[in-house]
Amino acid sequence: MRILGGWIALTPELPVKLLFGRHVWDCAQHADLWGKRLPELREPAQQSEPANERVVAFMDLIENCQTPAATAERVTGIYRVVKPHLAAVYARHLADANAIYEPPTRRILQRCLDEERRHVAAGRMIVERFAADSAWRARGADWEQRLLAALGAAGGIAGAGGTDRDFTAPPSAATESSPWHPARDVVALGSAFRPDVVPAELAERIEAHGRALLAGDRAALAQDVEAEARAAVDATYVDLRGPWERARVVACARIGAYRVLKLALEGVAGRTMLQLRWRPVDGAWRIAAADVVPS
Amino acid sequence: MDRLIAYDRLAREDRFVRMRARDVGELKIAQGLPPFPGLATHEQMRDRVHGILVGELQAMEGAGRTVFDFPDAPWEFTMDIARQVWDESRHVEIYLGLLDHLGGYVGEYPETTILWRCACAEDAAARVAGVNRGLEGLACDVFNQLVHIARKLGDPILERSVDFVLADEITHVRMGSRWLNELTRGDADRRRKAIEFQDSIDERFNLAGSRQDGEHELVAISIAKDARRLAGFTDEEIERLVKSTQRSQVY
Repeated sequence: MRILGGWIALTPELPVKLLFGRHVWDCAQHADLWGKRLPELREPAQQSEPANERVVAFMDLIENCQTPAATAERVTGIYRVVKPHLAAVYARHLADANAIYEPPTRRILQRCLDEERRHVAAGRMIVERFAADSAWRARGADWEQRLLAALGAAGGIAGAGGTDRDFTAPPSAATESSPWHPARDVVALGSAFRPDVVPAELAERIEAHGRALLAGDRAALAQDVEAEARAAVDATYVDLRGPWERARVVACARIGAYRVLKLALEGVAGRTMLQLRWRPVDGAWRIAAADVVPS
Repeated sequence: MDRLIAYDRLAREDRFVRMRARDVGELKIAQGLPPFPGLATHEQMRDRVHGILVGELQAMEGAGRTVFDFPDAPWEFTMDIARQVWDESRHVEIYLGLLDHLGGYVGEYPETTILWRCACAEDAAARVAGVNRGLEGLACDVFNQLVHIARKLGDPILERSVDFVLADEITHVRMGSRWLNELTRGDADRRRKAIEFQDSIDERFNLAGSRQDGEHELVAISIAKDARRLAGFTDEEIERLVKSTQRSQVY
């Protein structure tokens, strides 16, 4: 719960952000159920402790994926390792718990098991979408192996078992209209920037501007810039470090007549993001300001 | 993971354009547009709904950070904020749908990060005062007015969607009031600082006189007195807010 909550702001991808947001509350309720059950078993309420130091190390390893580019690791850690493992532990405990003596525990286990399986199924939808990118898939696979090794060294999350994982589909997955269907947790999965939102004439202009940037054609670049902004824009461009192989528009926002476009310059040297403010002047689009922004 | 992260670590997809609020406001004013989008035209409505979408996103992110940043806070506090994370994630989904309903797209207007910055206060009590009472109180005003305008326009999708979100916001304000009191019990200085933080947010989000005590159709943001009462604001607090809007002239 806490890790997912902390990661939301650090994760760029909207569907992943929202998936974490959905599951924070479920995880909180699971922790609450277990925390309230503890005093019924002669332990202090809402107090937990890790099984051993290696479990702590395992959780630290997962938690410390906090750079914007580490979404593959974040999703893998939670939805390919922790949650499937928790589901396996719950399933085993449920099978072992006595039906006569332990109904309170069994009810909590069943609820948590169903919901963890739902989370895993929702996470799988995210993984399938993003793992279409081979680099993402490879990073996820490497990270999964590293985490499983750490989990094995800890003896599983409970400290006395293996690294079993449960990928069983939840019962709710069979009913598409169910409020518990895993797809309910997956939002905006296909949502992406559509280049056709850029006005046609501006699209032509920025494409030419991008070509001039790749070629380092300062004269051509200057022609696109309003006279009073040329010195400032040129100063921004002088500091750019290429070479790049392509320039593509990745965002287009409007402020009245202005259009603020983000142009990603990409190549083996890396990636630079330019934010260009355009406006129509005498029938032609001109740049009023240019900034390098975080990519 | 680091606790109390820097403002600029807020992660976004490329399609979002981030700008300073002051720069956006100045560009609008230079073109004769109101700095805060009105509700008079379809374009303004889309601009406002996009702004709310981004606000809900930042609210979800801020609440998520609160769950993580304060492990020693009372467990019930964490539970309330975790619930709020889920609520905000659903609000984002609702406003994504409404933006689509209005023919807009994600990233159509620049994102500013004033809300997120408010959500990064270092004290949990300041966060609930500033975010739950200040910003969610503002949300009550904005959404109540939007419900009214949508009803008048005959747009039941907009009206009903926003009305459900408003109900959640009222709950969040109540939570904020409860936790402001509980977290600062016996600590007058901490309480004073938290309330000052909320006041500074109220002042800032009066948006150069955009928020006023007036008819929905006549002012940019009308103060939702009834919704605020439902949310637990006292008459004295509402009156103080109204007075602050009368002296707020700086964007």
